[in-house]
Amino acid sequence: MIDPIHFILFSSLLLLIGAYGVIRNKNSIVVLMSVEIMLTAANVNFVAFSTYYHDLTGQVVALFITTIAAAEVAIGLAILLSLFKQRDTIELDLLNRLRW
Amino acid sequence: MGESKGIPKILLTKIGLFFTFAFVFLAYLLMSSSQSAIYYSWMIPVFPLIAFSLILMFGLQDTEKGGSIALFGVSFSSVFSLAIAFDLFVNGTAHGSYVESSRVWFSGSTYSFEFGTYIDSLAGLLLLVVGVVSYLVVLFSISYMDDQGDRRVRYFAEISLFIAAMYGLIVANSFLLMFIFWELMGVCSYLLIGFWYEKPSAASAAKKAFLVTRVGDVFLLLGLVILYNTFGTLRYSELFADPQILMDNLEEVKWATLCLFGGSVGKSAQFPLHVWLPDAMEGPTTVSALIHAATMVKAGVFLVARAFPLIVHSPDTAIYIAVTGGLTALIAASMAMVMNDIKRVLAYSTISQLGYMFLALGTGAWAFWHSAHLGEEPGFSQGYMAGLLHLMNHAFFKALLFLGSGAVIHAVHTQDMREMGGLRKAMPITSAAMGLGVLSIAGVPFFSGFWSKDEILEAVHHNAAHEGIFGALWFMALLTAGMTAFYMTRMWMMTFSGPSTRFVSNVVSSKDHSKTGNWVIKEEKVASHAHEAPLIMTMPLMILASLAVVSGLSLVFGGGFSSHVYYGEPHESHGMVQWEIIDHILSSSLTYLSVTVGMTGIFFGIIFYKRGSDGKAAFSTEFVNDIWILKISHTFLSNRLYMSDLFNWFGTRTWDTFSMICDWFDRNIIDGIVNKVASISMYFSNSARNLTTGFTGHYASLTLGGLGVLVLLTRVVMPFMGWSI
Repeated sequence: MIDPIHFILFSSLLLLIGAYGVIRNKNSIVVLMSVEIMLTAANVNFVAFSTYYHDLTGQVVALFITTIAAAEVAIGLAILLSLFKQRDTIELDLLNRLRW
Repeated sequence: MGESKGIPKILLTKIGLFFTFAFVFLAYLLMSSSQSAIYYSWMIPVFPLIAFSLILMFGLQDTEKGGSIALFGVSFSSVFSLAIAFDLFVNGTAHGSYVESSRVWFSGSTYSFEFGTYIDSLAGLLLLVVGVVSYLVVLFSISYMDDQGDRRVRYFAEISLFIAAMYGLIVANSFLLMFIFWELMGVCSYLLIGFWYEKPSAASAAKKAFLVTRVGDVFLLLGLVILYNTFGTLRYSELFADPQILMDNLEEVKWATLCLFGGSVGKSAQFPLHVWLPDAMEGPTTVSALIHAATMVKAGVFLVARAFPLIVHSPDTAIYIAVTGGLTALIAASMAMVMNDIKRVLAYSTISQLGYMFLALGTGAWAFWHSAHLGEEPGFSQGYMAGLLHLMNHAFFKALLFLGSGAVIHAVHTQDMREMGGLRKAMPITSAAMGLGVLSIAGVPFFSGFWSKDEILEAVHHNAAHEGIFGALWFMALLTAGMTAFYMTRMWMMTFSGPSTRFVSNVVSSKDHSKTGNWVIKEEKVASHAHEAPLIMTMPLMILASLAVVSGLSLVFGGGFSSHVYYGEPHESHGMVQWEIIDHILSSSLTYLSVTVGMTGIFFGIIFYKRGSDGKAAFSTEFVNDIWILKISHTFLSNRLYMSDLFNWFGTRTWDTFSMICDWFDRNIIDGIVNKVASISMYFSNSARNLTTGFTGHYASLTLGGLGVLVLLTRVVMPFMGWSI
């Protein structure tokens, strides 16, 4: 039997991997992908607990999140595209104009 | 200014027409209701008020119209007020009492404010004075302000409003209503002094007049508050009705009357608030004649005379009034002796004569109190009567002198008497009229000033037997009489005596001016350009001059001034002429003393200031400068006893110190708090801003780190400490 602890460990692992990806990567697209991984971690939790409690609400929410994540990625990619048009780069370390 | 000597026919027609209208209207009113004219006294202030609004509405369409409309309104009120004065003094309608009529304006649960008229012999006397003087001044103004263009509209509107306010003050039936008109006059005075507002001196004189009289007005208001709090009413008839209530509240009466007199001190320019009146001469001369000599400054005297039934219960106030009056009379006369500006001489003379009136009223009140104190029946107050007689006489001869000086200024375009001289030939009517005014104010026997001044001196001397301070006041008043004669003679001599040609030194460009640009002083003999004023200006002068000569005779003719004004009805009258008064005056050694003093003043005035054939007087500027004692006193007096400087110094010093404290507080405490708060947050935010590195990774780590800290706090630290959210 798979205990909730396994889901939680798995989703925490996903979240940490995503966070590591966001923090460490310099490529914007990879950062975007890492954010998606973090979202997936949340989704895994929703689905797992939905099964655990026999309540479909969690799975519905997971579907919603997937939808919104898709939209978010679209917007994120569009931003990156226009950023590249203007600045010829999407390297995050070079995009540090807005600072102290 | 019109060169023609005659009155323009159209104006003459207007004068006649307006008078006819006024008479017809009055006659219609009297016939239709068969009541005395006194019952129409409320209309008196209304006519000039209507004129005021008409001028405001239609004045600018035709600037010639302003004067006519003002004359129209003033004609009506003059006719009405003279009719009332006639009714009071000849018919004795009021029977020694008063006639009051009132309407409720608004009412509260405890008090209803009523406005209405209260006519007694005092109001009648003032109506007579204002009726005559205001009409003549408006008539004189039409010619005098001829060259002022559009401004005449403003002038005549303001002067109409002023006359309305003055009439309103006289006929008002309560102290509150009187106070309203009192303030309205203050505003008009301010507006008219600042008539040439583009002149900085005129603007500042207007401000000064307004602010200085305001100091007095605050006291007046305070007096009214005390009266209302104590007696619950401000109506004359209710206040004066029961002497017993007044006697039961002596302390309140004392403070109330002192405060009321404070208002008089401001309005009538008594020491120490006299500083505004000489500066008020910046206004047009007609304004000075009407407002600052004949009518408005009399409002203070009127107030004291009105409050006389209150003041007789307070000997302290009476003595205070008498001392203020005597002191002011002396100080102002001493300053009038050295002024070179003809209008300032007259201004100081006005202050001095007003002091005389207050001296008389205070003396009368004290004598009244004294006889009541001794248990005698207080019958007749000579001081009160003398003060009012002097008020009337002074209104006539001072209006005459001011209007005469206006004619002179109009002719020679300067106010400095040193630049005048020799105008006697050029302006025969003006010089003769002013000469009569001078003789009258100097107290030459049988001119009007003689009677009233003599009565005042006698009243003061009479009191001196009971109270030592009146002895000193009597001496001061006698000295003032001599000084008055002296400075008035000086003024007339400096203005009118001497040859009509004179040497004038001018700075002119020299012959080689075009090459060198040099200027030289050139002496040349010029004939005076002055010429007599047109008849419309001299006619008021002549009327006033005849009044100045004969108005004093009202003391002895027709039952006597005192019986009419004091008792309000013929009283112990023995025939047409009161021979016993004449007999009393002629047999009194005091009369001869005061006449001698006055004559001495005139004599010195003539020998010091009569201009010789070279146009120079014995007392020239050089002569005064050569003798050290003269020089010192001259400097001291012509700097107005340094009173203005003292006020300025005191004012600026206290104000400066106060502002410096405020400034320090603002800079160090208020600004200090704000600045410290700002610099502390600046310091911290300077450190905090370094967090904003611009690297996305940093932000993400901080967010995650913050989350971690929150989790640690809520899950580990708080349970460990035993806290819960």
